[in-house]
Amino acid sequence: MCYNCAMMSPEVLAYPFLFIALYFESFLLVTFLSKPAREHRLETVVRSTPKVAIIVPCWNEETTVAGTVESLLALEYPKEKLSIILVDDGSTDNTPAVIDRFSHHPQITALHKKNGGKFTAMNLGIEHAKDAELIGFLDADSSVAPDALREIVAAFDEPGISAVTASMSIYKPRTILQRMQYAEYSLAITLRHVFASVNGLYVTPGPFSFYRRSIFADIGMFKRAYLAEDMEMTMRMQRAGLRIGNAIRARVYTKGPPTFPKLIKQRVRWTTGFMRNMFFDYRDLIGTKKNAVLGMFVLPLGIIAIGSGIFLFILSIFQIIQRGLHAFSMLQVAPLSYAFSWHKFTWFYLPITALTILGVMVIASTFVWMVIGKHASKTPGKLAFNMVVYLCLYGIIAPLWLMRSVSDVALGVRTTWR
Amino acid sequence: MHNNSMSIFVRNSLIALLVAGVITGTVIYAVNYLNNARVAQLGAMENQISIDTLSLDTQFSLLETAPCDSAASSTTLTGELTDLGDRLSYAEGQLGIDNAQVIQLKEQYSLLEIRDYLITKELAAACGTKPITVLYFYSNAGDCSDCDKAGYALSYLRTTYPSLRVYSFDYNLNLGALKTLITLMKVQDTLPAFVVDGKRSYGFTSLADFEKQFPKGALATSTTISAGL
Repeated sequence: MCYNCAMMSPEVLAYPFLFIALYFESFLLVTFLSKPAREHRLETVVRSTPKVAIIVPCWNEETTVAGTVESLLALEYPKEKLSIILVDDGSTDNTPAVIDRFSHHPQITALHKKNGGKFTAMNLGIEHAKDAELIGFLDADSSVAPDALREIVAAFDEPGISAVTASMSIYKPRTILQRMQYAEYSLAITLRHVFASVNGLYVTPGPFSFYRRSIFADIGMFKRAYLAEDMEMTMRMQRAGLRIGNAIRARVYTKGPPTFPKLIKQRVRWTTGFMRNMFFDYRDLIGTKKNAVLGMFVLPLGIIAIGSGIFLFILSIFQIIQRGLHAFSMLQVAPLSYAFSWHKFTWFYLPITALTILGVMVIASTFVWMVIGKHASKTPGKLAFNMVVYLCLYGIIAPLWLMRSVSDVALGVRTTWR
Repeated sequence: MHNNSMSIFVRNSLIALLVAGVITGTVIYAVNYLNNARVAQLGAMENQISIDTLSLDTQFSLLETAPCDSAASSTTLTGELTDLGDRLSYAEGQLGIDNAQVIQLKEQYSLLEIRDYLITKELAAACGTKPITVLYFYSNAGDCSDCDKAGYALSYLRTTYPSLRVYSFDYNLNLGALKTLITLMKVQDTLPAFVVDGKRSYGFTSLADFEKQFPKGALATSTTISAGL
């Protein structure tokens, strides 16, 4: 009979989070099918070619910056209207020499300064891009597809757009963690596309985000912002009522941390940057009706995602330990062969609960969004295996950086870049 | 533009809420439907076993003594009862111990077990056989830490020694016949409690200690199996 069934299963605590996840997925679907998102997926028509400056802030990027610059030089855009500004932020490796190799190129300006942080390098670049109408940024470990800039520029044709984000993916994932990130980035492509269609973005990521030059005069330059200057700038733009778009077919490739410590470091920087900016400096955005998508949906769900990620992880660990100990104590009772012997199985014993069905539905729909993100952005690479890796690892690894981030913010631990 | 975004957000939020609600409702309905099907199957099994038990009982009455060739039928019945018990245990885990249908099914199941136990005793007396029976009393009210182990050990013994007849009873079940059995067997509320071949014992430490409570040679034919496999 059912022994020790008296305790309420802690699994029921997961139901509210599952419902929120389902609501989130449903919102994604409805918004993806709505007119604004549909229009953003139409074929790109480039109506104008304004002057563009692309700034590449570099700090100890000797192995990757050359590839970044070469991909920028290969952009399909009128050469006389595209300038590239390389800013060495006091690198201690061979980066200065590498970027100086490009300084003779008519499109390229190479600048050197003392180390002051990424935002200072970006601001120096902006000061040297006086004649550009659009200013973009590209991290020195990333590269772009040849047609990416045309896609970005076309997205600025929409009235009221002040900034445009691209579709990031992991370049030739090699390690298992990079494969996991490839699937994660494919999902992020869809999320960015959908939320941009209703002006719900809270970050314009470092790789290939563009801004109208005028906004820096209107709302100011980049700030340190807890090492999340891109998030802070986006939140400032949202507070000012500016609109941020997305060019889903503007593909930018980044390397993605290959190892566990580097990945944790990066994600703790992102998550603490999000939390500190939002809780300390932009609390007014939470719940704001001025931008309801951001204030009443994206930001609250972002907070819930952090909380639920940690909670469900702890709950799972608790359950695994509890069941593991129970199974272990049972194995002490009877021979091991009995536990692994064949037992009659019928439909009656199918372990189907509302929790398992809803959980599978949420996971399946997440996979569908990954596939859509990859195909809508025309991102190269194979997704299927990377999705399996994501399924196996993400739920274990993500809570670790979430817990570390919450702990760092709560204890006031200063985040470092690398 | 802001008004447009706002109206799209409100509209999409409401649609999403509706979609999420409909999906959740459908899933809950489907799972309930499945659980009801489980309960219905348990009910059907109990009815069948009830008929078979009554048939066997009536057979005894007609012949005024237990027909020894009914031993095979009795063994089959015990096997069906075991299967029913396993399913009932699973359903209890799915639906909860407080579920009214589960409690009713458990009461019927306990009655069938008691009836089968009596028939087994009658057959043994009339035909000179010596079946080994175990009455096992457990509690799932959270007050019996060793009941899990005891239940698992008995499942193992029952599988390994098919001739062994194990009857499991929820000590706390409010059923007149069960309470009478508990009184007759003088079983105290120190659980888990066992009555092996009429002898009472309490608590569970290990399979080896538990096996010592069986009459010598009772598990002899199967000892080879347990040791060898």
